[in-house]
Amino acid sequence: MTLSYRPDDTFAHRLDPRAKLGFQAAFALAAFAHTTPRGLLALTGVTAVALRVSGASAREAMWAYRFALPLLAAGPVFAAATLGPPWVRPAEGFDTALASYRVVLVLLVSAAYLRSTPVRESRAAIQHLVPGRAGQFLGAGVGFVFRFFPVLRGDLRRIRDASAARLGGEQSVVDRIRRVGVAGLARALARADRFAVALRARCFAWNPTLPHLSLSRTDVPVIAASVALAAWAVV
Amino acid sequence: MIETRDLVHRYGDDGPRAVDGVSLAIPDGEFVLLAGANGSGKTTLVRHFNGLLAPDSGEVLVEGTPVGEDLVGARTTVAMVFQQPRDAFVAATVGADVAFGPENLGLARAEVDRRVGDALDAVGMAGRGDERIGELSGGERERVAIAGALAMAPDHLVLDEPFTGLDAPSRESVVSHLRALSESGTGVVVVTHDLRDVWDLADRVVALADGRVAVDAPPTDARDRLADLGVRAP
Amino acid sequence: MSTDTASVELVGEEAVENVARAALLAALTGAFAYVSFPNPVSPVTISLQVLGVFLAGLLLGPVWGGLSMVLYLAAGAVGAPVFAGGSSGIGSLVGQSGGYLWSYPVAAFVVGAIAHGGLVIRDPAEQSLVRLVGAMVVGTAIIYAFGTIGLSVVLGLSLREAFLAGAVAFIPAEAFKIAAAIGIVRSDQIAAE
Repeated sequence: MTLSYRPDDTFAHRLDPRAKLGFQAAFALAAFAHTTPRGLLALTGVTAVALRVSGASAREAMWAYRFALPLLAAGPVFAAATLGPPWVRPAEGFDTALASYRVVLVLLVSAAYLRSTPVRESRAAIQHLVPGRAGQFLGAGVGFVFRFFPVLRGDLRRIRDASAARLGGEQSVVDRIRRVGVAGLARALARADRFAVALRARCFAWNPTLPHLSLSRTDVPVIAASVALAAWAVV
Repeated sequence: MIETRDLVHRYGDDGPRAVDGVSLAIPDGEFVLLAGANGSGKTTLVRHFNGLLAPDSGEVLVEGTPVGEDLVGARTTVAMVFQQPRDAFVAATVGADVAFGPENLGLARAEVDRRVGDALDAVGMAGRGDERIGELSGGERERVAIAGALAMAPDHLVLDEPFTGLDAPSRESVVSHLRALSESGTGVVVVTHDLRDVWDLADRVVALADGRVAVDAPPTDARDRLADLGVRAP
Repeated sequence: MSTDTASVELVGEEAVENVARAALLAALTGAFAYVSFPNPVSPVTISLQVLGVFLAGLLLGPVWGGLSMVLYLAAGAVGAPVFAGGSSGIGSLVGQSGGYLWSYPVAAFVVGAIAHGGLVIRDPAEQSLVRLVGAMVVGTAIIYAFGTIGLSVVLGLSLREAFLAGAVAFIPAEAFKIAAAIGIVRSDQIAAE
């Protein structure tokens, strides 16, 4: 289960994507600047609001980030343990526990963004925020990655199934990686060649019509909150 | 009008000539069947019509201008639908894909939306802009690919093997939309080795053999000569 | 002709191909994150993500290889589930593995620059084995240096603690990927592309 956009009509769904990107940046700044029990308590409240207004669930988000959790849990242990007396330094463990917790908050806030923002709006935000050819490269390129990622995942799955059926697990690990790599890469490059021809036929240009975005009154409280968080981060 | 003059194309410096001295003129509104066995040079030839390939010698003119001098002009006049369009879609959803061409032309948003609407209408996909291309049937995908080309507002539509892998109902549906497009004045070039589906629509049959024009005649006259080339006429 | 064509700035033919390849290599790197093999010498499984970083540098060269990984990060940041474990989001970029992620564009650039001996692309299959291995060893060092520093900053660990917690168990498996990457760029199927 991955975190992805889900159509809905929440407050967060109606926001301009740029406002949401700015909010995430401001939140991360504040979380890194105020990694104290009091600061993180306040930011926990902010996180709860972000989840609530976007329709994201904390439990689903934690499940999506489950691969990050062992390291976040182990961090404080590594920090507290020392070779030689006193063997355990609880204060350092506590500091790292706070640092781990702030990462969890930042992940949850980005889950709220992912749940409430379709790809086309993220692309539009990139193209509006990054000027010129760089913005067009990033915006269009991100769209192409989204477009082909599931296709290539399917390719790799079929390659592995086929080679498992034919050879079983008898080869060395390097041979198996090479086999999957060669077949996967060859398909990806062939697709890239066909795709490039199609892009040329459709006049792929540096200066296309950009998707429409406009800030509205709905965005005002989010922008105000972002400014407040960023200001709090630097004082 | 698309015009080639003594067009030669070879793959690699000393490769064989995939296209070997082809001179053709395709007036606006004409429905052309481009036939020939596998490897006869059909795909290579049509990729010159809008500058996807550059001639080794000879020239290609679109509306009287060499294609290399105005690629945007050539690609908006001659739009292309590729064989097995799966890798040719740029977006995951129908509407976003069809909008790609007009957006690249820098058209105003209202004009982009109008073209997308008209193009989807022309292929019987009106109102389905939000659907995911990956979840469509083969025939629907082919029609979305046609819509993406039509959104360039071309004078000529070139389709490379549009019926490959389609079942009979899907082929009929694609054919009926091509018929309507042709009747409304768009020129159509269908590249195919299987002539059954579009024989009745064609004004003209051009067949290639080893990169040269072997037959160029109205369907009624072309029938017998195609058999000699190993192309089965219906 | 029905459109005013003078104002359209077409992406150059060569650049179109590079953009397409950069996007496909970024997507492939993401798809590799889902492929793992049991490690014969360690309990930690081998994920192929880093193989994508190597291949981007080796095949696309420093500039487009680096840009390919920029696309990978940008797509993951706005929701493509391409990061480790199928995760995504800006949180991942500032989280405990952020250092690893930010290293990818740099590592792909450096792998490409060493393998191709500069900014101009050559056929990687014709480069010497030493050069290719050296490029990927340096790339690996960059990835783990960034990763360790990132982990240390984000979780407030010393560099030594961060290295023990987040890097040491994974490094041996990189040797398998380097060996496989050599085989991949030298295979007939890829060299023909």
